Amino acid sequence: MTELTTAPGRPPGAPADPGRRPRKQGRASRPRRPIPTEFRTAVSPHQLNSRRGRTVYWTVLVTVVTGFTAVFVFPLYWMVTGAMKSTEDLLRIPPSLLPPRFTLEAYLEAWELLDLGLLLGNTALYAGGAWLFTLAIDVTAAYALSKLRPVLGRLVLGLMLATLMIPPMVIMLPAYLTVKDLPILGWDLLNTPWAIWLPAAANGFNIFLLKRFFDSIPGELLEAAEIDGASPGRILWSIVMPVSRPILGVVSILTVVNVWRDFVWPLLVLPDNEKMSVSIGIASLSAQMPQNVLIASLVIASIPTIVVFFVFQRQIMAGLTAGGLKG
Amino acid sequence: MRGARGRPPTRRRRDVKRNLTAYGFLCGALICFAFFSWYPMVWEVVLSFQRTNFVDPPVWVGLENFVTVFEDAAFGPAWKNTALFTLLALVCGYGIPFVVAIVLNELRHARAYLRFVVYLPVMLPPAVGVLLFQWFYDPEAGLFNQILGFLHLPPLDWLNSSDTALISLVVVSTWMNLGSGTLIYLAALQTVPSELYEAAELDGAGLLKRIRHVTIPQTRLILLVMLLLQIVATMQVFIEPYLLTGGGPENSTVSVVYLMYQYAFNFGNVNGGNALGVMLMLVLMVFSALYLRLSRDDTKEEAPR
Amino acid sequence: MRRSGYRETMGALLVAGLGLSAAACGSDESARPTQGTGATAAGNAPVSISINCVPPKTNKAERQNFEDDMAEFQKLNPDIKIEKASDAFPCYEPRTFEAKLAGGRLETVFYANFPNVGRLMESGQAADITPYLDTVKTYGDLNGSTEIFKKDGKVYGVPTDGYGMGLVYNRKLFTQAGLDPNNPPRTWAEVQAAAKRIAALGPGYVGFGEYSGGNTGGWHFTASIYGHGGDVITPDGRKAAFNTPEGRAVLENLKQMRWADDSMGSRLFIKWEDLMKAMAGGRMGMMLGAPDVLVPLRNDFQARFEDYAVAAQPEAKALLNGGKGFMINPKATPEQIRAGLKWIEFQYLTPGKGQLDYERARSQDYPVGQPYPDLWKAGSATGTQVLDARKQHATVDPAQYAQWVEGSKGLPAKPEPGPYAQEIYAILDTPMSAVLTRKGADVERLLADAEAKVDALLAKKG
Repeated sequence: MTELTTAPGRPPGAPADPGRRPRKQGRASRPRRPIPTEFRTAVSPHQLNSRRGRTVYWTVLVTVVTGFTAVFVFPLYWMVTGAMKSTEDLLRIPPSLLPPRFTLEAYLEAWELLDLGLLLGNTALYAGGAWLFTLAIDVTAAYALSKLRPVLGRLVLGLMLATLMIPPMVIMLPAYLTVKDLPILGWDLLNTPWAIWLPAAANGFNIFLLKRFFDSIPGELLEAAEIDGASPGRILWSIVMPVSRPILGVVSILTVVNVWRDFVWPLLVLPDNEKMSVSIGIASLSAQMPQNVLIASLVIASIPTIVVFFVFQRQIMAGLTAGGLKG
Repeated sequence: MRGARGRPPTRRRRDVKRNLTAYGFLCGALICFAFFSWYPMVWEVVLSFQRTNFVDPPVWVGLENFVTVFEDAAFGPAWKNTALFTLLALVCGYGIPFVVAIVLNELRHARAYLRFVVYLPVMLPPAVGVLLFQWFYDPEAGLFNQILGFLHLPPLDWLNSSDTALISLVVVSTWMNLGSGTLIYLAALQTVPSELYEAAELDGAGLLKRIRHVTIPQTRLILLVMLLLQIVATMQVFIEPYLLTGGGPENSTVSVVYLMYQYAFNFGNVNGGNALGVMLMLVLMVFSALYLRLSRDDTKEEAPR
Repeated sequence: MRRSGYRETMGALLVAGLGLSAAACGSDESARPTQGTGATAAGNAPVSISINCVPPKTNKAERQNFEDDMAEFQKLNPDIKIEKASDAFPCYEPRTFEAKLAGGRLETVFYANFPNVGRLMESGQAADITPYLDTVKTYGDLNGSTEIFKKDGKVYGVPTDGYGMGLVYNRKLFTQAGLDPNNPPRTWAEVQAAAKRIAALGPGYVGFGEYSGGNTGGWHFTASIYGHGGDVITPDGRKAAFNTPEGRAVLENLKQMRWADDSMGSRLFIKWEDLMKAMAGGRMGMMLGAPDVLVPLRNDFQARFEDYAVAAQPEAKALLNGGKGFMINPKATPEQIRAGLKWIEFQYLTPGKGQLDYERARSQDYPVGQPYPDLWKAGSATGTQVLDARKQHATVDPAQYAQWVEGSKGLPAKPEPGPYAQEIYAILDTPMSAVLTRKGADVERLLADAEAKVDALLAKKG
C-alpha cells in the first residue's frame, strides 16, 4: 500500500483497466465475446463465462449502470434543467422532464444577483493562495524533518501528527477567536485571505504524506549533491521536488479541493459579504432568491470543481486512496 | 548538538548549520501549527473553564460551563442525534459502499464511467449538495415527492417531521460521500491476490464464502480504518442541520457541533460552546487514537516488504 | 447605595431632557437639529468614532444617502470624525455581530435589535450612557421603547425604530379567494376561515404561514401569546409563564389550521427570510409580521408593494415590541460616547434628517408614509413633527397600514422576554415545530415540557 502514492491512479497489482479491452475490439459481437477474466476476482472465471453466469453478469451490469445513472447523474440533470424552468414550472405537478424551452436567463440572473463572479474569484484566490502556502510551508517542513533531521525533529513531527487526532471542527471556536486576534501580534485576520491560507498550511496530513515520500528517496542521491556543494535549499528544489511530482500533485489537489469545498471555516472567518467564498455566499443568500435562480447558482458553483475533476481525475483518485488509507 | 560534543569541530559546525537550516525550513510550519492548531487546542480547554465576555478579564468558573451545557434542554438530543446520525451514516455510508465496491470489482465493463459517476457528488461543494436536496425534499415541488406521486405512493414529510428529518439528513450526507468510500474499497479490493481466490475455489468455497474468507480478511485493515474515519467524520455533522433544519423539528436534528455553534453565535456564550467542544474532543480522541494505532500497525506490517 | 445614586442622576437627567424638549417646542423648529448637534466641544481635538449599520453597497441609493448623511454630520460637528463605517445586511447578522462582540471589536456606536438588548446589558457589553443622555436633546420625547434599554435604573442605549406586531396579508390573494382585501380578519376564527379559502385556491397555496425553528418559532410564539394576553416569563423573570390557557390557545389555533383545516401548507419555515420569500412568492395569504416587513418584501424579495397590507394582530391584548436601537461600546471614552450619541440623534432621531428625511426618500421613489418608527410620545413636539412630515410626503396608500394603525391603537407594547430571550426562543421552537409537523402533538405536554426547561434555564441564570 505504500506504493500507492508513488503510482497515482492505479493500485499496485491492478492490471491496466480491464474494462478497456473488449470495447476496443468491437461492439457488434459483444454478447458472444467471453467476459474478460485475466484479472481474477471473487467470482470465478468459469462461472462468469458459463451461460448462466453471463446472463447474471449482464443483468447486474445493466442494473448497476442504470442505478448509478439514476442516483448520481439524474439529480445533476434535474439541477441543470431545473434552472431553465420558471418558478411556476417548478411548482407544476407532475413536473416535465425537459425544460419547456432552453434558456440561460436564470443563470445570468444568478450571476448578477449573487455577484457570482466576485464569489468565484474570491474562492479561486483562497484556493490558489492556500495551495501556494501549503506547498511552500509543508514541503520545506517535511523535507527538514525527513532529510535534515534536526534536534527534537521527532517531537515536532509527533506534535504535528497529533493534530490529526483532533478534527478542525472541534476547535473551530478557539481557532476562530485566534484568527480574530492573533496572540502576541494582535492582528485581526478576519475577512482577509490569510485566515484561509495560513490555517490551510497547518495540515498534519500533508506533512505526513510528504515526509513519508521523502523518506523513500534514496539518501545517496542527496549525498552526492551535497558533496558537490549544493545547499539544502538547492537540493530540495532541483532534486527532491522533481522526483516528488506525484505526491506534490496529490497534496496540491487535496488542498485546493478542500479549500473549495470547505464550509464551516469560511463561514466563520469571512463574514463580510464581499469576501465570502462561493459556498457561503450561496448559502447565506439562498433564502432570498427565486427558486430557479438559486438552482442556477448551485450549478454555477459546482462547475469549477466538476471541471477540476474532469481534468485531474487520476490525481484526485490517487489522493483519495492515499487519504483513505492513511488519513 | 548534544551528541556532537567531542567530535571534530568541522563536524560539529556542520551539525549546528544543519540544525539551523532545518529549523529555518521548519519555521513556517511551526508558526502555522502553533497559531492555528496547537494554541487553539489548549485555549479551547482553558476557555471551557472560564467565563469571559471579552471586555472584562476572564473569570475562572470551574465546571460551571460544563454544567450549563449539560443541563441544556438540547444537550441530550444533540448527543443522541449525533450518535444516531453516526450510526445511520455508518449503515448507509459504510456498508453500502463496501457492497457496491465488491460488485463494481466484478464488473468488466463501464468501469471508468461508474467510477467517475459515483465520485461526482463528492466533488460538489457540500453546500451545493445540501441546498440541492433541500429543493428535492420540498414537500410540494420537490423531486422526491413528485416521484412518489408518480408511483402513486403517499408523499413523505422528509425534513418536516421529527420522524424522518434525521434520516433525510443521513440520505443527503450519504449521497454526497458514498463515492469516496466506494473508490477506496475498490482500490483495496484490487490488492487482493488472485491466488487466494483460486485456492479458496479449489477448496470448494462458494462465492459468499470466498468473500467472507478471502475478501474481508484481506481488506480488514482498510475496513477498520475506514470505520474509524467515518465515525470521526460523521460525528462532526454540522452543515446539514445548519442549512436544512435549524436543529428541528422538535430538536430532532440538533447535533453537538450545531449546538456548539448556537452557543457561540446565537446565545453569545462562547465558553459554553467550548465546553461542548472539549467533550466532543475527548470522544473523538478515543476514535482517532484507535485509528492512529491501527495505521501504525499497518506501516509496521508493511515495513519488511 | 451607588445604584440609587445613579437612579437619581438619571431622573434628574430625564427631567432636564424633558425641560429641554419642552423649551424646544416653542423655539424655531427647523433650526433645532443644528442646534442640537452643535459643537459642545468645539476647538478640542476631534473625537474619532466608528459606526455600523451602513446600507450594503448593493443598495446603491440608500448607501449614497447614508454617506451624504455622514458627510453632513461631520460638517456640522467638525470635532467629530467618523473614521470607520461598516456595512452589513441585515444590520444584525448573527455571525458578524457575535464575531465582533466576542472580540470586543464592535464599533463605537453599534446596532442592537430588541431581542439582543437585554443580553448585552446583562453581560456588560454595552456602555452605561446615563450621565451623557443630555446629549440627545429629544430623548425626553421618546416613548416607552426606551425602557428596553434600561436596567437597574441605568440607560444603555437609544431606540431608533419601534413597532408592534401585526398581520401581514396579500391583498391580491384575498381578492382571488373572494375575500375583501379592505376587511382583513379581526379574530382568529376569521383568520382560520380566510386561510381555508386561500388554501383552497389550489395546490401550493398557503393560507397562513408560521415559523417553526431556528429561534424564529419561539419569537413568533411570544408575539402570539402576548396578543392573547399571556406572557412568556413572570414579571420577576424567574419562571416560565406560558403554560397557560393563552399559551394553549396559540398552539391549538395553529394545530387547527395546520391539521384540521390543512391551510398552512407543509413547508417548514425556519429563517426569517423563509417566510418573507414565501410571502413575496405570492402564494401565501397571511403571516404575523410587523409593518416594517413591507419594505424589504419590495426591496429585497421583489414583491409588488401594492399587493400587501398590514392589519392589526387579531384579538390582540398586547403587542410584542419589535424594533432596534443603538448602543455604545463599553470601551468608549466619555467624549466618544457623547459623539456617538450625537450621531445617533442626527441620523435616526432628528426630523428631516437621516432616516427621517422623508422628502429625500420620496424623491428617490422609496415608500413613505408607513406608520413607523413609532418612537415618540403622543403629542410630543418631535413626534408631531415627524408625523406631519410623514403625512406631507406620503407616497404609500394609507389603506395598506390603516387597519394596523387603528387596531393597534392603545395596545400595550411588551418587550422580549428578558436577557435570555434567545435561549428561551430556542426552547419554544420545540412546541412550535411539534404542532406544525406532528399531527397528534399533545399541546398540554409540549407546554409543560417547555415550561420545565425554561424554569431550569432561568433558575440556573439566577
